Amino acid sequence: MSQETSQNTSSSFRLLILGIIAVLIVAGLTLVIMAVSQAGTEASGDEPINVLADSDDECVECHTRNTPGIVEQYGHSSMAAAEVTCRDCHEVDADYPGAIEHEDTYVLNEPTTAMCETCHENEVAQFNQSRHALPSFVAYAGQDVLSPELLAMYQAVPEGGYSDEKVRARNAIHAIEGPAITKFACESCHDVGKPAEDGSVGQCQECHQRHEFSLEQARRPETCNACHIGPDHPQWEIYQESPHGIAYATDGHTWDWEAEPGTLDSTNFPAPTCATCHMSGFGPTATTHDVGDRLTWNLAAPISDRRPAWQDNMTRMQGVCSECHNTNFIETLYSDADKAVEQVNAWVAESDEIIQPLVDNGLLTAQPFDEPIDFVYFNLWHHWGRTAKFGTWMQGADYVQWHGAYEMLHERAELIEIVNDKLEEAGLEPIDPGPPGPIE
Amino acid sequence: MNYLATVFPKAGQRRLPISRDQAMLLMAAFNEIMLGLDTLLAHVLNNTIRPREWIPIIFGPAAGIMLLVAGLIALRNRKTATWLATAVFLTSIIVGVLGAYFHLIRGTLPTAPLGSRITLNLLVWAPPFLAPFAFAGIGVLGISAAWEEVPTGSGLLKLPFGRTVQMPYSKTRAYFFLVSLGTLVALVSSALDHSRHPWENPYLWLPLVVGVFATAVSAGMGALNRELTTEDVTIYVTAMVLLIVVGMVGAYFHIQADLTSQSTIVPERFLRGAPFMSPLLYSNMGIVGLLALLSPQENGR
Repeated sequence: MSQETSQNTSSSFRLLILGIIAVLIVAGLTLVIMAVSQAGTEASGDEPINVLADSDDECVECHTRNTPGIVEQYGHSSMAAAEVTCRDCHEVDADYPGAIEHEDTYVLNEPTTAMCETCHENEVAQFNQSRHALPSFVAYAGQDVLSPELLAMYQAVPEGGYSDEKVRARNAIHAIEGPAITKFACESCHDVGKPAEDGSVGQCQECHQRHEFSLEQARRPETCNACHIGPDHPQWEIYQESPHGIAYATDGHTWDWEAEPGTLDSTNFPAPTCATCHMSGFGPTATTHDVGDRLTWNLAAPISDRRPAWQDNMTRMQGVCSECHNTNFIETLYSDADKAVEQVNAWVAESDEIIQPLVDNGLLTAQPFDEPIDFVYFNLWHHWGRTAKFGTWMQGADYVQWHGAYEMLHERAELIEIVNDKLEEAGLEPIDPGPPGPIE
Repeated sequence: MNYLATVFPKAGQRRLPISRDQAMLLMAAFNEIMLGLDTLLAHVLNNTIRPREWIPIIFGPAAGIMLLVAGLIALRNRKTATWLATAVFLTSIIVGVLGAYFHLIRGTLPTAPLGSRITLNLLVWAPPFLAPFAFAGIGVLGISAAWEEVPTGSGLLKLPFGRTVQMPYSKTRAYFFLVSLGTLVALVSSALDHSRHPWENPYLWLPLVVGVFATAVSAGMGALNRELTTEDVTIYVTAMVLLIVVGMVGAYFHIQADLTSQSTIVPERFLRGAPFMSPLLYSNMGIVGLLALLSPQENGR
């Protein structure tokens, strides 16, 4: 009897286990079939989900009433889906630099890169080494406002433009225009590298807009357009004119904007955006948040010089190019574009020679931007010289020609006329630099 | 009985230096170490590993080493070795279940509207929620191997302090079920992962078809309540060999996908792109499946 009971129990267990295994297998295979039938859908799905819709979090509930826009944005972000809370980025200790009291706790109005660094360590480290970091801020504020720690950090940026001989002073135009204007002008863009009270540098949200922090938005060229536009650095306009920009305008809607970072190639992005060439992990080139990491020239300078370790930078950029272009094409472009940069350099150097007699004879005012010649001289390199160089590298013919080289020649003629007027007014011999043309 | 010898007669003529259970334990130790490495590669993506993400990374190699130590201790004192191995495997089960829980909650949206809190789309794009079960699977497999079955084929396991426990199935059949469930985990993980892309690449169907076949065959082998025939074993061995081959081919394709068009090795692409170690889970299950066919006798005959 006992043996029979034991055998029955054993049979029941066998049946139970077999049943459980059958259920697991059927459930697993069903999941497989469902997954296959839904293949290829994007991470976000067709209908964006507000992951905070039913949240009873205090911050969410209160801000849904007071600032619903940001809660709506954040509810659709991948950060919220990853359960990063408002407090994770905003809440700090009472004695944290910049902390403000808010609803029985202490917060930062704008979380600093120190907060972002908690999860995005590599990205912040790369950013800190870039021209988007302190060099961007120093460009308008000068280096005197930096603490010793920040100055050391600025000096350590290899492509940051620091030199022992030439101390970066506060930008003259920034000083002339004053804070009522510059807050909405220079600072809007250059604060991408502004130090925060806690000693961290930069504002990630300049490119990763609050509060969606969308991968697609950061990859779209319109994001860079916020600053890289206008007469002094019209990269957005040049891009739109270029074959890359045309491909984006016509086919961009088919590109894989949510592709896994670091794995991009021409199958995801058949043509590049700004981010693809300068930041994305694309083909053999790894991801970086140092925007100068792939550049060979300091094109923004009046007379461009090679960047430190430019050969390494060039290898990385050419790795990106090589996903679509052959070696001959790439090397020819680099060789030809180098010559164009040198030609623009020569014209800018000539403009220095043209005004030199005024400097030598004390015929220029001490104040910057107080007489027409200052603007003509400045426009020649800052607007048209830069534009011609950017246009060359980014394949924007109209910007090399009519918004670049042609305008340089126009400013040159005007510069000569103003210089000679001043020399003649002072009873001095006028200059004759000769007709315009290519300079060796 | 050495079922492998029914398909490969030469395998039956040689006496193996270790028993089937010892081979399983060696596989378990190797797997723990490799799982730790695989988890490190998966968790290191942002260069910021959260505290609880260190658990499997540290546990995997530590468990592997402790199991090897247990193997050495077993030469002199089997009881102590069994206890040590059992403790390691129990911990492995806990680590696996906890990991699956953490992965699953990362794939859910608890404060989203009802109906959107857990969707297939989320499971496809979230951390692979079944992957940590590999630790649990090794744990169960290891415990099965660590406890001696006396007499072989009876399902009666010898526990410490002279106690015994009657399992509903023999060890061999239990191994078949474990192979089936392990293959199912590999299959579902592969299907979810591959569903990030349209299934236009015909090679993606290989792990699907072979995975379903091997899952069904090994479950069927466990369910068969009779002496296995040569035909049974042949079909099963075919399934296991297919698993091994598909795993290796998959690893090759994943590496190819991670290489650039000029075959340059970019570490970032290997970390963020196709996981090159994952397909080897298929091969792993195939090897475990073949080991299950070895003689259950302690002397390896």
